[in-house]
Amino acid sequence: MAKSTKSKPSRRDFLKLAAGAAGTVGAPWIARNAQAKPTTIVFARESSYVKNFDEHFQKVMIPAYQKATGIKIDYQIQAAGGSAVPQLVSMVENKSGADLAWVQQEWLYRDALVDVSDIAEAVGKEQGGWYDEIKSLSVDNGKWKSVPQANIGQCMVYRKDWFDEAGIKSFPETWDEFLEAGIKLKAKGHPYGMSMGHGFADNYSWLYPLLWSYGVTVMDKAGKKVALDTSETAKAVDYVRRLYKEACIEDCIGWLDPHNNKAFLTSQISCTNNAYSIMVSAKRDLPEMGKVIDHGLNPKGPNGQRYHSLVPVTHGVFAYGPDPQAAKDFLKWTMDPKQFRPWIASGDMYFAPYLHAFDKVPEWDIEPRVKPYHKVLETGKLTSWPAPANRAHGTVINRWVVIDMFSKACLGAPTKTVIAEAVAQLKQIYG
Amino acid sequence: MSANPVVGTSRAAALEARAYRSVGLSRLREFIERESVFSWLILTPPLLFLLAFLGYPFFYGVYLSFFHREVAGSPSFVGLGNFVTLANDPIFWQSVGNTIKFTAAATLLKATGGLGMALVMNQNFRMKAITRALLLLPFIVPTVLSTVAWQWIFDPGMGLFNRLLVESGLAKTGPSWLGNPTMAMISIIMVNTWRGLPFFGISILAGLQTIPVELHESATIDGASTWGRFRYVTLPSLLPVIFIVTTFSIILTFFDFQLVYVLTGGGPANSTHLMATYAYSLSVGVGQMGLGSAVALSMVPVLGLLLVLLTFYVRKD
Repeated sequence: MAKSTKSKPSRRDFLKLAAGAAGTVGAPWIARNAQAKPTTIVFARESSYVKNFDEHFQKVMIPAYQKATGIKIDYQIQAAGGSAVPQLVSMVENKSGADLAWVQQEWLYRDALVDVSDIAEAVGKEQGGWYDEIKSLSVDNGKWKSVPQANIGQCMVYRKDWFDEAGIKSFPETWDEFLEAGIKLKAKGHPYGMSMGHGFADNYSWLYPLLWSYGVTVMDKAGKKVALDTSETAKAVDYVRRLYKEACIEDCIGWLDPHNNKAFLTSQISCTNNAYSIMVSAKRDLPEMGKVIDHGLNPKGPNGQRYHSLVPVTHGVFAYGPDPQAAKDFLKWTMDPKQFRPWIASGDMYFAPYLHAFDKVPEWDIEPRVKPYHKVLETGKLTSWPAPANRAHGTVINRWVVIDMFSKACLGAPTKTVIAEAVAQLKQIYG
Repeated sequence: MSANPVVGTSRAAALEARAYRSVGLSRLREFIERESVFSWLILTPPLLFLLAFLGYPFFYGVYLSFFHREVAGSPSFVGLGNFVTLANDPIFWQSVGNTIKFTAAATLLKATGGLGMALVMNQNFRMKAITRALLLLPFIVPTVLSTVAWQWIFDPGMGLFNRLLVESGLAKTGPSWLGNPTMAMISIIMVNTWRGLPFFGISILAGLQTIPVELHESATIDGASTWGRFRYVTLPSLLPVIFIVTTFSIILTFFDFQLVYVLTGGGPANSTHLMATYAYSLSVGVGQMGLGSAVALSMVPVLGLLLVLLTFYVRKD
């Protein structure tokens, strides 16, 4: 057979050529990937009610970080209103999505978060120390699994004009005075709207503090023994039933978190428990109402104490990401006072850091009506308090065990029955 | 024969190859056009799609229901442990009861309402086409969007219903549509009926239009009244359509999730918790993937029974 193909490249020549070409084309790719630095970090956070806060992050902080390090931050804003947790759970289950996030309900997936003790301890040392209560959430088995960013304060939001009209000169100091005032206001067509449905903030933020101020906690400190089964719980349940019947709008028993905002802004209720987002919306869209909204602390209970419920914002880094160290470096950078202070300031203290360095910052004085939210950190507890914030506690929250104890009583069930049902569920959950 | 033997050989080879190719192609075509092969070829893509997006999650759910498995945790086998836990869980039984009540009431309302809607739409009137198209709206609008609108309609003070009641002088204050457990159940049934009615209406209308006019004519000649014609001609002819649409609707209603999730979150005090919302709350909220899957799986026997009924019915035809 004639070797007419001699002048043509052989198969071996072709392979050599192909390998060379691949090398030439692929070299930069390999080199780029061999470098430790990723080009993009994905950061997921629920959208903020204070638009300026997200805007500051996007317009100031992201470009600054890119300029300093060359790394682009992909800021994924999750819709508010309960959809962030399912997204986070799905990310963890699929080991994909964000590199770091506002890790809501972090007890569900702490194992998927890296140790950030180095960052949290350094930040604490540098910025006046952490409020103790938040450590129950962020520290797990002696390690920080998230870096607390801030608390979203929950207080009583009320219509000062209507309270004045009813002759109530200052916000009630005790729950009994609160009921008395509510009866007067309801008689004038301005009932309270205290959320008691299957939401995740505005129901817990007054029912748990109320229970605590009756001297009751759900579990003991170790989280082993159910502590709810007491005569004081019965008094708290009876009080809530009376408050609902005599001072509240009927609808509030089924309200999810957006409902009380809507009812307040449409002048249907005179008081509710909420973050100060209601005032933000009113100032923007209903200036007349914006002038007559004020805030009050949760009233004191029979034990003479007042409590608030913390709504924590904590940031965690996912262990399964391509480069957790790069995400940690970014997280550390955001907590540097040079970045952190203006970021917090941009949110008008809607997000209040758990750091004592912020106790006396002038930002608290910009809007005097926001001041009660400053006090929330002093008397604030996690809903797990005094027990650890773990999965069992998460189950109690997500099955609305304590909330439904109160709401069933309001719907007519006997006090003893609702407490017994709640205790039975708690025993099953804590096993 | 070509003068050049080399060229001649190659041309012959090419011709031969083409002949082989055309024989091969026609054989392939013959093979494909065989009914048994062709039907499988057409079936394969949707089957693969169903396997990937329905089969896999379903079997994964079955697998999960036998395990104690928390989010981001490793599974441990518990056999029927999850089902035993559910059997002793009062909220589970409440959600089963709610689901049955919700499905029964909503399906009955949709079937009767849909029949009425179809009978009206089958008449001749002005702007018939546009009316028919508009009636489909509830079915077309995304559920979450329409449910948010319903949230406003049910609002105690600003809502459409209570405003109408108060403005018309029928009541001093309207009811609490979502705050009272009974009213909340009625409200979710109402929204589900509103959303599902067009599906019944349009399907039954299609069935109505297939009934030959001659049947009605001969019944009229035989002296049948309007009711008689409906009872003995229209209804029997429509039964197959009504049966199939109802079965589909029961399945869809049984698994309804979005509506309740947006409107009440299962509250107040679990009075509107359906099996689907409870399964979700256990899996995603509580992070108990195994227990949540067990709730979801508990819905399957009902679905299975309906599918068997449907299959028998279709086969009988």
